[in-house]
Amino acid sequence: MSRKLSFAAAINEALHIAMQADPDIIVMGEDVAGGGGRADQGIEDAWGGIMGVTRGLIKAFGPERVRDTPISETAILGAAVGAAATGLRPVAELMFMDFIGVSLDPLLNQAAKLRYMFGGKVRVPLTVRTSMGAGARAAAQHSQTLYGMTASIPGLKTVCPSNPADAKGLLLASIRDDNPVIFCEQKTLMFSQGEVPEGDYEIPLGQAATVREGSDVSLVGVGRTVHTAIEAATALAAEGVSAEVIDLRSLSPLDEDAILATLEKTGRLVVVDEATPRCGIASDVAALCVDRGFDFLNAPVKRVTAPHSPVPFSPVLEDAFVPSPARVIDAVRELL
Amino acid sequence: MPIAVVMPKLGMTMQEGTVIEWPLEVGARVARGDTVLIIESEKAEVEIEATGDGYFRHIYVEPGEVVPCGTVLAALTEAPASDFDAEAFRASESTVAARPVVTAKPSATRAATAAPKAGAPATPAAKKLARSHDLDLDAIAGSGPNGRITREDVEALIEQRAALIGVGDGIRLDAPATGPDAGDGVLLLPGFGTDVSAFARQIPVLAEAYRVRGVNPRGVGLSDAPDSERYDIATAAGDAAALMHEPGHVVGTSLGAAIALELALRHPERVRSLTLIAPLVRAEPRLVAVIEAWCAIARESTPETLATALLPWMFSPAYLADESQRKRTVRGLAQTVARVGVEALHRWQAGILAWSGSREADLERVGVPTLVIAAGDDLLTPRAEAVASAIPGAKSIVVAGAGHAVMLEAPEAVNDAVLGHLSSGRTA
Repeated sequence: MSRKLSFAAAINEALHIAMQADPDIIVMGEDVAGGGGRADQGIEDAWGGIMGVTRGLIKAFGPERVRDTPISETAILGAAVGAAATGLRPVAELMFMDFIGVSLDPLLNQAAKLRYMFGGKVRVPLTVRTSMGAGARAAAQHSQTLYGMTASIPGLKTVCPSNPADAKGLLLASIRDDNPVIFCEQKTLMFSQGEVPEGDYEIPLGQAATVREGSDVSLVGVGRTVHTAIEAATALAAEGVSAEVIDLRSLSPLDEDAILATLEKTGRLVVVDEATPRCGIASDVAALCVDRGFDFLNAPVKRVTAPHSPVPFSPVLEDAFVPSPARVIDAVRELL
Repeated sequence: MPIAVVMPKLGMTMQEGTVIEWPLEVGARVARGDTVLIIESEKAEVEIEATGDGYFRHIYVEPGEVVPCGTVLAALTEAPASDFDAEAFRASESTVAARPVVTAKPSATRAATAAPKAGAPATPAAKKLARSHDLDLDAIAGSGPNGRITREDVEALIEQRAALIGVGDGIRLDAPATGPDAGDGVLLLPGFGTDVSAFARQIPVLAEAYRVRGVNPRGVGLSDAPDSERYDIATAAGDAAALMHEPGHVVGTSLGAAIALELALRHPERVRSLTLIAPLVRAEPRLVAVIEAWCAIARESTPETLATALLPWMFSPAYLADESQRKRTVRGLAQTVARVGVEALHRWQAGILAWSGSREADLERVGVPTLVIAAGDDLLTPRAEAVASAIPGAKSIVVAGAGHAVMLEAPEAVNDAVLGHLSSGRTA
């Protein structure tokens, strides 16, 4: 059975299911509890973070397991890594991925390295939920797409769902993974609706999905750009061009086989990524196609990405910054 | 129902477009998806596809004219010669208010119409596929951006090559057949340096009643090009005989007429009737010189240059007087001559010269019903009528004012004569 839920509600449901099943799971971050559960102070429920994702958790699991933190990303992630290394299974919230700068050391040099450096004797079953991406009129310091940065760090996994059902299944898999996982939530998708199965299910990390079958060209997206690709594919279908759409779902591990399989099928590939183009997942996918899929190529690989620029605050410029279906269609036309 | 070709509306801002070119001859057979028109809009040339099958019947708007979107530009009809009131159709179609938006076809789905170009870029997938099938990329025309050879182009060639027919000694020829499966067979043999497209104006008409098989001889088009000093006319006649599973009608033009004649002399039991169009039994000095020029230009220059140089020799002044017709013919002829490589030209040159004069005394031995079609203004084979008078009982007609390429210049006269001859051969 499934029903329609928003992306935020699907994540909330995953947290409920995970916390119900495993008492070692705690949730921590800025305003995740929001003072909720303080009946003595007349507060019945939490705000649940700026997107309301953690709403209701404090009533269900109490302030011991759902913890507001000071406004210090260093403290949040430092404490979360320590908790993970010493027996808990924390889900920490980094309100905006843009704030990763001040909390990078716990991730880069601790979380990502401990299991490796201690010969497997220490595990870091940490999940960092974080919101990212442009399109919310939040300006250059609250709109970046930095999943390529975390995906480039060995020892971290990086996940980015495109729809509510995947968000729930991927989050459950992330929480139960014994390695640190960066779980990226695209802001503009948070209130999008979708069918979400009931109950407990996991979507394995590192497994891409074919969301639309096609034969002439492959469009590879992740997160929001999956929807950009689907829109482009629909418009191309009216012109008689059959486009296949692949949702990467995880950036690390990356489902190389799925990318090569769709390239072998269509011979033409456009990768759509809302991150900036240097050293990003789009370049990584393009390199994979040339390196391992050279003989499948029936046209150059095209990358449709944001420009190498901060995210503009002007709504007009921000809309131009984000990869559009029209740009994807233009790229496809160059290949045919 | 006839089909209208209209000026498409290719974008929200497009109000009008310019007719640039009608790439097809009036009368040509058209399949859905074929390019019937090239227009210019917003400084870009766009190919327009036929929306259904038919015959290219009538042009309302000539190249160079600028017309609003939705204007009826040309008509396709179901049959080549059915009743059709061009003006009434135009009037009825012009009242159709809402025109569908026509989309320019993406080049990936476009069949390569350009000639192969040596050293053209090819995609890795195309290269790998060509390698695994032992195909030469230089022989493949690219349909991708910048003339790039794509996997689809190689696949099309593989499919075409799978249809080649063995004629013995491991040689396989490209001899496509069309028309009713049960019909009497007609074998078409094209002239020097050309392929079956030389019969483009004959095939649709003949195929209404006959099973028509055009032969691309050795070295032409996709047919095998075995290494050899020369391609003998006798060998070509043997190849043609091998393609005839039962006795049939044989139609040849120019060098193809020489092959047809040789076939009738060597295998008379295979030949129900013989049609020789602009034939020769001895290569006149001018023909020898034109063939030398043909080989030299093919070696040194482009197919377009070759076609331009050949035009004055092959067509009559009346045909050449029309400039747009000249340009269209050069374009078509360039594509045809591009399908014959320089080595094959030299081998056929040697073959026809070796054969020249060898059969003059044997014409009286031709025992099958023969029709000779001579062109009145033929510079290359001016003694075609003499061939007719030397063959016992041969009929002959002269198409007045037509050049050597009489099949293109006067298709109706040629087709009527051929059909008449085939049907009399049927009752004989």
